[in-house]
Amino acid sequence: MAHKIRILSATMAAVLAAFPVLADDDKIVVGFATGASGFMEAYDKPAQDAAMIRIKEINAAGGLLGKQIEVVSADTKSDRAEGAKAGLSVIDEGADLVVVSCDYDFGAPAALAAEDAGLVSFFLCAESVKAGIQGVGKHSFSASVLAAVQGATMSEWAFKEKKAKNFYRLLDTWTEYNKGICDGFDWMMPKLEAQGAKLVGQDTFKNDDASIAAQITRIKSLPKEPDAIMLCTMMPGAVSAIKQIRAAGINSMILNGSGVDGSYWLSAVPDLSNFYTPVQGSIYGDDPNPDVQKFNATYKKETGTDPSSQYVYPGYSMIDVWAKAVTRAKTTEADAVVAELEKMKDEPTLFGPRTFTAELHHQNSARYLIVDIEKGKPSVIGSWTISEPVPMNALVK
Amino acid sequence: MTDASLSTLPPALANPRKPARFALARRTIITPILLSLLILAVAIVTVMTGSRPFNQAMIDIMVRVVLVVGLYIFIGNSGVLSFGHIGFTCLGAYAAAWLTINPLMKKTSLPGLPSFLLEARLPYWQSAIIAALFAGLAALIFGKVLMRLSGIAASIATFAVLAMINTIYSNWESVTGATSSVVGIPIVRVIWPYVGAAIVAIFIAWGHAISRSGLALRAARDEPTAAAASGVDIPKERLIAFAISGVIMGLGGAATAHSIGVVTPDTFYLGLTFITLAMLVVGGMSSLSGAVIGVLLLSALIQALRWLEAGVPLGSTTFALPKGLQEIALGVIMIVILALRPAGLIGNREITLFRVNRNK
Repeated sequence: MAHKIRILSATMAAVLAAFPVLADDDKIVVGFATGASGFMEAYDKPAQDAAMIRIKEINAAGGLLGKQIEVVSADTKSDRAEGAKAGLSVIDEGADLVVVSCDYDFGAPAALAAEDAGLVSFFLCAESVKAGIQGVGKHSFSASVLAAVQGATMSEWAFKEKKAKNFYRLLDTWTEYNKGICDGFDWMMPKLEAQGAKLVGQDTFKNDDASIAAQITRIKSLPKEPDAIMLCTMMPGAVSAIKQIRAAGINSMILNGSGVDGSYWLSAVPDLSNFYTPVQGSIYGDDPNPDVQKFNATYKKETGTDPSSQYVYPGYSMIDVWAKAVTRAKTTEADAVVAELEKMKDEPTLFGPRTFTAELHHQNSARYLIVDIEKGKPSVIGSWTISEPVPMNALVK
Repeated sequence: MTDASLSTLPPALANPRKPARFALARRTIITPILLSLLILAVAIVTVMTGSRPFNQAMIDIMVRVVLVVGLYIFIGNSGVLSFGHIGFTCLGAYAAAWLTINPLMKKTSLPGLPSFLLEARLPYWQSAIIAALFAGLAALIFGKVLMRLSGIAASIATFAVLAMINTIYSNWESVTGATSSVVGIPIVRVIWPYVGAAIVAIFIAWGHAISRSGLALRAARDEPTAAAASGVDIPKERLIAFAISGVIMGLGGAATAHSIGVVTPDTFYLGLTFITLAMLVVGGMSSLSGAVIGVLLLSALIQALRWLEAGVPLGSTTFALPKGLQEIALGVIMIVILALRPAGLIGNREITLFRVNRNK
C-alpha cells in the first residue's frame, strides 16, 4: 500500500510540476517555436538571430503601431511532437506572429497549431512549396525562396551568361529540398533546349552514399565532358560528392542550390574551382549592397560570429515584411495582415524583392546573387533573376 | 474399457474443482478500473488548467499509454522482447492519414492510393478503428511467421519487420509520400478521445491477460517446457497476443497522427521504439500497471526536465538547466531506477484496492 501511494504521489507530483506559466498579451508578441537544441538549431538559431536584429531595429525606432515588440520562444527540441507543443505554448503566451523552424517537416506541427488558432505563421527558411498555403493553410508563409527557383536560376544563368550548352543532372534523392532544386531545373531545361542547350544525361544518388563511383563513371563515359553539372544536393553528402567529381578529373561547372553556401566545408575540397551557388545575400564581405555589409557587421556585433551561410538572411526579411504588413493593416489581426502581405509585389527588402499572392505565400521568382568559388575563394560574380516565375504545376507534383 | 482407464486418474485430477465463472475477472477488474481512474484524474487536471501546451503534452502522454500498453500485451505476457511494434504504429498512422485527408489533397500528394482510399474521408474515430484493424491484420500476417521463433531470434526478427516497414514507407512515393511529410490530417486537440483510447487499450490488455489464451501465454513465458507439455500451443498463443498488440499499436498510430497532424516514416522508428520500450521496462515489463505508471512517470519526468531547461524563475534570477541535459538526466534516472528495482518500479505486481497482488 505504502509502495503504491508513493508511486502514485510521485507520479502526480511530477505531472503537476510540469505546469506551465501563463502570460498576458497586452503588447505585440512574436513567438519563436524553433529548435534551440537538437540538429535544427544549426539552421534555426542564425535565422532567428537575424530576425532579432530586425526586431531590435524596429523597437529602437519606436516599435510597431507604437508598441514595443516582445519576443517569446519555446524549444521544439528538433522533434515534431515537441514542435506542436512549442507552437501551442508561444500561442498561449500571446504570440501575434508564430515563427517556426527552417524545415517544413519540423516546422509544420507548430505552424499547424498557429493555423488552428487563426494566427500568422512564418517558416524561417523552408524552401518547399508546402511551407505555406499548400501544406499548412492560408495564414502560413515562408521567409525564403523556393528551391525550384534555385535550380531554374542556375541553369538559365549558366546558359545565358556562361554559354553552357551540355547539361548533366545529378540528383540526391534524400530530401524534398534536393528534389525541389532539380524540379526547377527540369522546368527550365525545355526552354533552354529550345534555344540550343542539351540535357546529355541524368543520374541519382543518396546523400549518405559513401561512393558515387558508378555515377561518375557514367559521366566520364559521355562522348564529351558536360559543360555544367546541376548538382541537386545538400550537406553533409554534398562535400563527398563534389570531392569525388573533382578527384575523377571532371572539371565541368558545378551548379548548386543555396544549401551548399558557406565556407566552412571548403577546406575539405582544396582548390575547388568552377563552382557556382545562388545566394540571397553574400556572407563573404563583397555584397554589392552596402546595407547588407552593414547588416553583416551588426550580426557579428550581436552574435560574435560572421553569418555562416545565406540562411541567416531570410529571418531578417521575414520580420521586415511582416512588420510592414502590420503597419499597413494597422493591426496584428491575422486576416488583415495576410491581406496586406498578399498585396506585396516586388516589395523591396535588404535581400531582394518579395512577392506574396493569394495562391502562393512563397517566392517563385527571386533575385539571386551568384557566388563563384575559384581556387577555394568564394566571391560574388553577378546576379540573376529568372526570366519568368516558376509556375504552380512545376512546384506541386 | 475407456471408462476404466479414466478412473485410474487420481481423484483430484479426475474431478477438478471448477472455479466460478468470471471469478478471475471479478478478482482482477479493479486494476484496469484504478488505472483508468488515474488517467481520468490526469485528464481532468489537464482540462482544469486550460493551458494549451499542457493539454498537448497530456495528449502525448495518453498516446504513449496506448503504445506502451500495446507493447505490454505482447512483451509482458510472452516475455519475448519485440523491437518491431512501432512498425505497426506506422501502419496505423498512415492508414489514419489515408482515410481522413481531404480527397482533393490526396489526389495530388498521394496519387498511388487505390480509388476507394482516394475518395474516402472518414471521421477520425472511424478511421482510427479501421487503422487499428489494419495494423492488427499486418501483425497477424507477420506474426504467423515470426512466432515460430523464440528468444533473441524472435526479437531480431521483429526488428527486421520494423526496418522493413520503415524502408517501404520511406520509399513508396505515390502511396506514402516517401520521406516527405503527409499533411492535411485533421488535428484533434481535445484530450477526451485520447483518454478514451488509453482506457480502451487498458481494458483490452486486461481482458487478454485474464483470458484463457493470456493465461496460457504467461504460463509459457514462465515455464515453456511445462506449458508445452500441458498442451499449450506456444506459437498460437503468441500469435494471438501479437495480433491484439498490433491492433493497439495501430490505434496508437492513428492517435499520433491526429495529435500532430503530420506523419513521416522517421517518426515511427528507433527513437519511438526505444522510448516506449524504456517506459515499459522502467514501469515493470510484465505488469499492466507497470506499463501505465511507467509512461506517466517517465513522461512527467521528461516534461519536468524540459520545464527546467526552459528556465524557472527563482526570485529575481532564472534557474535553467543547460539545453540537452534532459536526455542525459533521463538516462541517469532510468539507470538508477533499474539498478534499485531490476524488475521495474512495479515489478510483476498489479495495483489493486487493498493489497498489491502477485500477478499469476
